[in-house]
Amino acid sequence: MLIEILQQTINGLAIGGVYVLIALGLTTVFGILGIAHFAHGSISMFGGYLTYFLVTAQGLPVLAAIPVALAAGILLGLLVEILAYRPVRNANHINAFIVALGLTMMVEGINLQLFGHEQVVIPTGLSRVFRLGGITVPELRLYVIVAAIVLVVAMMIFVERTKTGQAIRAVAENRDAAILMGVNVRTIPLIVFGMSTALGVAAGIMVGALFAIAPGIGEGLVVKGFAVLILGGLGSFPGAILGGTVLGITESIAAGFISSAYKDVIAFVVMILVLLIRPQGLLGRAP
Amino acid sequence: MNRILPLLPWLLALALLAVLPQVLTVKYYLHLSILALIWVIVAQGQNLIQGFTGYVSIVQAGFMGIGAYGSTLMGLNFQWPLWATMIMAPLITALFALATGYPSLRVKGHYFAIVTLAFNLIIVIVLVNYSELTKGEAGISNIPKPWGGNREAFYYLALVLAASLTLLAALIARSRVGEILLAIRQNEDLVAALGIAAWKYKLFAFVISAMYAGLGGALYAHFQGFINPEIFGVAQSLDAILAVILGGSGTIAGPAIGAFLVVFLPEFLRFADSFRLILYGLILVLATIFMPIGIVGIIKAAFARIARREVRHGG
Amino acid sequence: MSKHKFTRACAALALTLVAGSSLAAEKKLTVGVADALTGGGAVYGLPQANAVKMAAEEINAAGGIKVGPDIYKIDVIAYDDKANPTEATNAVRKLIDRDGVKYILGFCCSGSTSAVASFIGNEKAVMLVGNAAERSITTKKIPNLVRTRPPADYTGQAAGTFIARKGQKRIAVLGALDVGFYAQYVDSVEREIKKVGGEIIAREVFSLKDRDMTPQLTKIRGLNPDAILVVGYVEPAAFVYRQAVELGMNIPRYGFTSGSEEQFLRVTTSEQMEGVWDLRPTELTLLSASKNGIAYHANYTKKYNASPSPSSPYAYDQLYALKAAIEAAGTVDNTEAVAKALRNLAVPPQVVMQYQPVDGKMFDVNGQAYTSNGAFQWQKGKWVFVEDLPSDSKAYSQFLSTLK
Repeated sequence: MLIEILQQTINGLAIGGVYVLIALGLTTVFGILGIAHFAHGSISMFGGYLTYFLVTAQGLPVLAAIPVALAAGILLGLLVEILAYRPVRNANHINAFIVALGLTMMVEGINLQLFGHEQVVIPTGLSRVFRLGGITVPELRLYVIVAAIVLVVAMMIFVERTKTGQAIRAVAENRDAAILMGVNVRTIPLIVFGMSTALGVAAGIMVGALFAIAPGIGEGLVVKGFAVLILGGLGSFPGAILGGTVLGITESIAAGFISSAYKDVIAFVVMILVLLIRPQGLLGRAP
Repeated sequence: MNRILPLLPWLLALALLAVLPQVLTVKYYLHLSILALIWVIVAQGQNLIQGFTGYVSIVQAGFMGIGAYGSTLMGLNFQWPLWATMIMAPLITALFALATGYPSLRVKGHYFAIVTLAFNLIIVIVLVNYSELTKGEAGISNIPKPWGGNREAFYYLALVLAASLTLLAALIARSRVGEILLAIRQNEDLVAALGIAAWKYKLFAFVISAMYAGLGGALYAHFQGFINPEIFGVAQSLDAILAVILGGSGTIAGPAIGAFLVVFLPEFLRFADSFRLILYGLILVLATIFMPIGIVGIIKAAFARIARREVRHGG
Repeated sequence: MSKHKFTRACAALALTLVAGSSLAAEKKLTVGVADALTGGGAVYGLPQANAVKMAAEEINAAGGIKVGPDIYKIDVIAYDDKANPTEATNAVRKLIDRDGVKYILGFCCSGSTSAVASFIGNEKAVMLVGNAAERSITTKKIPNLVRTRPPADYTGQAAGTFIARKGQKRIAVLGALDVGFYAQYVDSVEREIKKVGGEIIAREVFSLKDRDMTPQLTKIRGLNPDAILVVGYVEPAAFVYRQAVELGMNIPRYGFTSGSEEQFLRVTTSEQMEGVWDLRPTELTLLSASKNGIAYHANYTKKYNASPSPSSPYAYDQLYALKAAIEAAGTVDNTEAVAKALRNLAVPPQVVMQYQPVDGKMFDVNGQAYTSNGAFQWQKGKWVFVEDLPSDSKAYSQFLSTLK
């Protein structure tokens, strides 16, 4: 029993790590620009497909393909910000959401034209499995969890320790005050989108290596990402990290011990129950 | 005269819709028009909570599902007549909306949107997995249709219902309740400070909007004769939001126009073949950027400009 | 205003078409395809639509359809239904009402197919269903509907006998059990293994979008089953096979997935697949394929630059069956006569799947066709056809007739 609980927790960690990365990207965009960036998931998917294409069709090694895909993803993120979100910045928030919805369809459609309708798995050649007592961990899962932790730490350092990071936080806290302090509020959104998209593409690559990417997978990712955001508290980085981990493990435990058919229902009910007790989420600031 | 004038476009539209089945020779367009009228009802409901109250709910299609399955299963299991089950459908949906609205409405803004979205996902998962009752993903076919499936008759039923429910929405919007809903949208804290129990009004708007969806869902079931969970997924809830935004949020004509758009536009784009999704997405992005206040908003602004010019010329 | 313009444009288009056809030496028969060309169902729908188009080109090149003195060349209109019931209804309404199409093919996915099946009985049209495996589609006695793919439980019965013979008693099931026909397959297997004292000890579910099966597999591992049975679409099912190995589960693995080598090797290594059984209709695999099958595989690969999905010939065969039925009925306009001819059809020689006729006919009284079932095993990177799974199409046909 204990071994099974431990195994299920480890099972949930990998997908939890993916949720954390997706949620961090969403939460930075939300915290600083107030946009529900629904297209985030499909851009992650695009990044994953692109990596697959670079590896299989262009023959790049995986480690070389990843930076290229990240760069392409960042570029796409910047385009999305400049062409689509900036024009609706001053309109109602729901308008940005509709734009995001339209963008999702476009990215999905273009992806289908470029890469076809089959699911793909990014080949890594990493197929060893570590065994410890009764617990098994495929090496790839371990690397994904480690990579997620590294990315999260890198982002925290960037936001906490660098000047740009401080400017980003200043805008998040109070836009008007930030302008008075001389922060360039026009470049901040671009940096934020670049960073957020990079995290999203990284998550897409992880999903693509560990599991698979397929058309329509982005919507599932972004919905889970938003659930994490709500669970952890909108705009809160630690909240996204805690929320993603909790959601991943909850799903795994729910599937293993209660019902695999209703695992998502259980995860969502946990989210709703948390909100009943703490309407601002686990680590969100009280309004 | 001045009081009738604003009603003129409405009467004109109604007259046009009333003769439509007589001039449409291709029944495919009649079929789409019926779907669009059903979506008018759903979108008017969405507008009450989204447009007037300012709470973006993403569970409208889930509530359609409750109405559709409610009406179908009552007919199937209790052998109730079709009319009785259709009247019961919005009432059952209202019960579900009360149960889900209470926790959802404790939170605001994006929190509310995501919680309602979670409810929509939950509804679909239960419909898929509780197959002893719902027959799961395979769906239920041979749902009874009124008048032996006569499409023209059904069109008029849908038209009458869509028109009356649009009128009801207008009446709600102009009542004291409607004023309070608008006030909640603009400044909820202020409403609370005035000693008004805002939550009651929000719950009212949420439940009524769900009842609209429930009825729309029941109509859908008895029009198509087939339902399965796929039809009531999040994608369709997003369609309801789209209808409100494209048409004109917080207006009465907006959701009606928007409903026709979300039904006809994807069908019209079939010519684009595999580029259909890209084109539809592009239209959404462009429409939102260039018509942020919806079609009705644009028309109103245009009329206002003409009126101003006339006044200037006249003066 | 714009509506008026549109009607005028349509009228003009119709005129040119009529004028065009009267000038041409041969006539045109337009058939429709409603299938999932985008979204999750596209994996099945797109190859089906491609297969119909390819069959049309072949038939046209070979002289078209001969009806009395006339020769008809086939034209294909394909509409996307995203495997969604509303979209499928709209697409078929457009085909019938606006495009004047009388013969509709494709139909990969059960939900959208059931939606169309629920009203097609009232239309002057013929519907030919492909990969959609939900049983109830052919239990409603719809006279103008036929289906090339056998229902899932027809195969399940044969599979159950096979597993029972292998001697494993405690079977754990992991599959897309939220989908009706997969659950029906498992129910049939259960009936058969119970006869020899076996039982199904777990029924765990994955959904179409799940790729991480470790929670379910960890649970199953704790139950110590003798074997595992995986039923579901190939995309998620491939992950079950891979992750079962990763979790150190070294037990026989049976499946009902119909995935191709290519589809599995995207997800797993060949070593991870070694020894897996697939108990399914003898669909298209190179080793079991007939001469037609090999030619189909080669032509499809050449034309579309990708291997055909194993289930795509279900749609290809639809068009050849339709051609034979139209020629037998001697009419393209009388859909009732064509529907009747379909029900009386011997298996046409050009079809790819290996059908087991009932009373000498391709489709039985329910409009259902039956293929033979086979046990395939993964050996050294390939699906190898090991043996036929004895299946009694006539007995199953009688059983199907008793259902409502």
